[in-house]
Amino acid sequence: MKSVAGKVVFAALSVLYPVLVFCGLEFWGLSPRRLSLMLIGLAFVHFFNVTRERAKDAEGTGRANVVKNISLLVLMLMCGALAFFADNILFLKFYPVMVNLSLLCFFAFTLWKKPSFAFRMANLGDKTLRVSPERPFVERYCDRVTMVWCAFFVVNASVALATALVGSERMWTLYNGLISYILIGILSAVEFMVRKIMQNKLHSYVPVCELLRDSRPDGAVVCFDGESVRTWADFVSDVSKVRRFLESSEKRPWILHCEDSYFFIVALLSMLQSGRKAMVTANRQEAFIKEIKKPEYGFITDTPFGDASAGAIQIQDILAGPAVEPLWNAFDKNAAEMVMFTSGTTGEPKSVPKRFSQFENELYELVKVFGDDWLGRKVYSTVNHHHIYGLLFTVLLPTATGLPFRRHRIDYPSELVSIAGEKAVIASSPAYLKRLAADTDKPIDFKYTPIIYSSGGPLPEEVARKCEGITGYWTMEIYGSTETGGIAYRQSKNGPVWKPFEVCKMSIGENDCLNVKSSYILEPEGFTTGDLVEIYDDGRFLLKGRADSIVKIEEKRISLPEVENRLKQTGLVQDVRVVPMVGNRQYLAAAIVLNAEGREKFKDQPKLEINNFFKKHLAQFIENTVSPKKWRYLEELPQDTQGKIKMRDIQALFGIPESPNFKILKMRREPGMVTLKLVFPETSDFYNGHFPSFKLLPAVAQVDMTVMLAQALLGTPDTVARIQRTKFSYPILPNVPAILEMTYKAETSKLSFSYTLEEGRPLSGGTLVFSGDENA
Amino acid sequence: MDELKNRIKEMIVTALELEDVTAADIVEDAPLFGESERGLGLDSIDALELGIAIKENFGVSFSAANEDTKKHFYSFDTLAAYISANMPK
Repeated sequence: MKSVAGKVVFAALSVLYPVLVFCGLEFWGLSPRRLSLMLIGLAFVHFFNVTRERAKDAEGTGRANVVKNISLLVLMLMCGALAFFADNILFLKFYPVMVNLSLLCFFAFTLWKKPSFAFRMANLGDKTLRVSPERPFVERYCDRVTMVWCAFFVVNASVALATALVGSERMWTLYNGLISYILIGILSAVEFMVRKIMQNKLHSYVPVCELLRDSRPDGAVVCFDGESVRTWADFVSDVSKVRRFLESSEKRPWILHCEDSYFFIVALLSMLQSGRKAMVTANRQEAFIKEIKKPEYGFITDTPFGDASAGAIQIQDILAGPAVEPLWNAFDKNAAEMVMFTSGTTGEPKSVPKRFSQFENELYELVKVFGDDWLGRKVYSTVNHHHIYGLLFTVLLPTATGLPFRRHRIDYPSELVSIAGEKAVIASSPAYLKRLAADTDKPIDFKYTPIIYSSGGPLPEEVARKCEGITGYWTMEIYGSTETGGIAYRQSKNGPVWKPFEVCKMSIGENDCLNVKSSYILEPEGFTTGDLVEIYDDGRFLLKGRADSIVKIEEKRISLPEVENRLKQTGLVQDVRVVPMVGNRQYLAAAIVLNAEGREKFKDQPKLEINNFFKKHLAQFIENTVSPKKWRYLEELPQDTQGKIKMRDIQALFGIPESPNFKILKMRREPGMVTLKLVFPETSDFYNGHFPSFKLLPAVAQVDMTVMLAQALLGTPDTVARIQRTKFSYPILPNVPAILEMTYKAETSKLSFSYTLEEGRPLSGGTLVFSGDENA
Repeated sequence: MDELKNRIKEMIVTALELEDVTAADIVEDAPLFGESERGLGLDSIDALELGIAIKENFGVSFSAANEDTKKHFYSFDTLAAYISANMPK
């Protein structure tokens, strides 16, 4: 307590010192000798404070303080003594100079022996600063602030000296007793304002290729999974291990598939830093891996699977090894190569070569546009990081910005509640958000409104609206592709118009399609997408559907989205796709998912009646020739496991002739595999002649169905040579939907199939071996 | 005549790859083409297909220039009558 009181006395006297000296001389008629006693007294108060303080606080700013205090004490006593013996006012006027010089010494000393004084102060205010990814920036900023103060003290001391030597007493008092205090006040206020502005910006961004071992504090959290975290120190250590491994191997390039985002970024960064080309693939189908993998290629994964992963290195095995000497360096973003794979809308996997500079330039743009919104948040994902949008948003962005990310995807809408207490950035997609909107009826009580991104396909406005009701945030959509990266963004509450990223230059290319040039597209001529576009004067644009969505039916041009929108106009349709078909003639076919009103309206109506209802509606707007000729009413549109709806899959569905004996309600397809939801009405011919009073689907009908569907959807040969391991354990009953799953391996001509109930109960299954002759 | 009618109906369903419509669903006196409550709602391409199928199946041909062709194609009844009258004996 005494020490605090002493400090207050010392501070008050120091501040008032110029005024007291002036008053003493001018009004109270005191001689410089008498006044010098005040300075000497002040020195004693200071001495008393200093000895107290040292006993208490030996660490921290201790050494700098000692230097400051002793020098100040010596100068004070010296000047006081000189003033006393010479009875000269000049020596008393040196006091403000001394104070400035001692502060200068103190501040400069902390710059030399870091951390600087301003950073120590910042640490007192925010204890988490030490392990924050922002720390390097804050430290740099504080050093600068400390330097500015040093410069201020130099100037202030000089002016104070000048006023002491050549100015009048009045001027000396005015400057040192008032003006210099005002200047200190102004400087503090300006610094405070600058700091506030800086605090609202994301500063921890470092380009991935420029990250150094000490770019982040060792304790900074890189990723988390429940309670467990990996820190920057762990990250550096893990990358070093993988790099040692890669550099000890002749194999290159490396195929990379890791489900865990942390393992993925460790492996990817290791490859980039070690100069190994990385081929990133989400698809790990045996046939696909065989197709892309050459003998000299390496393959690293965290989840081994079947034959495809034979010879693959499991990353956990490398990381489990003993610690190695740190191996880490910046790398050349223009030289680092990657390959990505896209399925596109047509379905065939296609490889897209990339330079890392393309990602790096896009990251820079994303941080510029969205970075400040991400301050202090954690990154969550519902999408696959082997595709470009997931790669950028859920793996590279956290790495470049130092935001912690969750190692595992959020798979189910219901999981979102579990992160309601966090400040979150969620990288999502229409497939997830649609399910969220459909499955959630109450708003989630987020403590902080999350920021949600969506990409991969258009997000219907009504889904965005529902998600806003659930999460409080109107989803930010990103438009782009594997080839182009991100092109533009929008929140559909502001209309359907897209705002391009600043670096993207839009123009209309071939076939009225959007052409993009940007710093992350290597080709100087840019890339022409398959999307029809209307570009406004201010550069924003409207997408008008896919170019392949305009088809010719018997020489008549028709836009598929137009027919789809007309069907939606009835208010009975939840989702619809219209596809062109070729038989004896060209025609359109419509796959429709009815909404609740539609299901109610057409309940128990024959299909022909429903067809005719829609045909009649369309007849008002379009010619008979381009009106759909075939119709399917489904529970959901055919899609792949990513939720992507492909024209090819819908056409394949229409390739299965409509039959009164069975109905397809759902279809999910991916290479070599198809899952169908089927129902067999009680009027089905399949039941005839079996047990008239108790209808169940004969085994032969089940096998027959399987063969027919496998031929239509998986392209199996015509003849079945053998049936193996078949089991019929539970009957398929009329009107009870069954799930048929079929997997076909062309190499062995074997098709495995299983019928199950929706809740999973197995009904039957087995393996069909097709006649190899067909393949020969 | 009934047997011929059934053959023609089957031919229409097959040749035009009609779905959700069986021979029994064809209303004999309803217009074949264009929008109507009970008709098939066929279009001009279907007419061409149908003309070819009739020639292949029944040996009856139509002249595209002939105004009467439209009349013959008006409904199933008119078509069946024309085919029946012009079939080579």
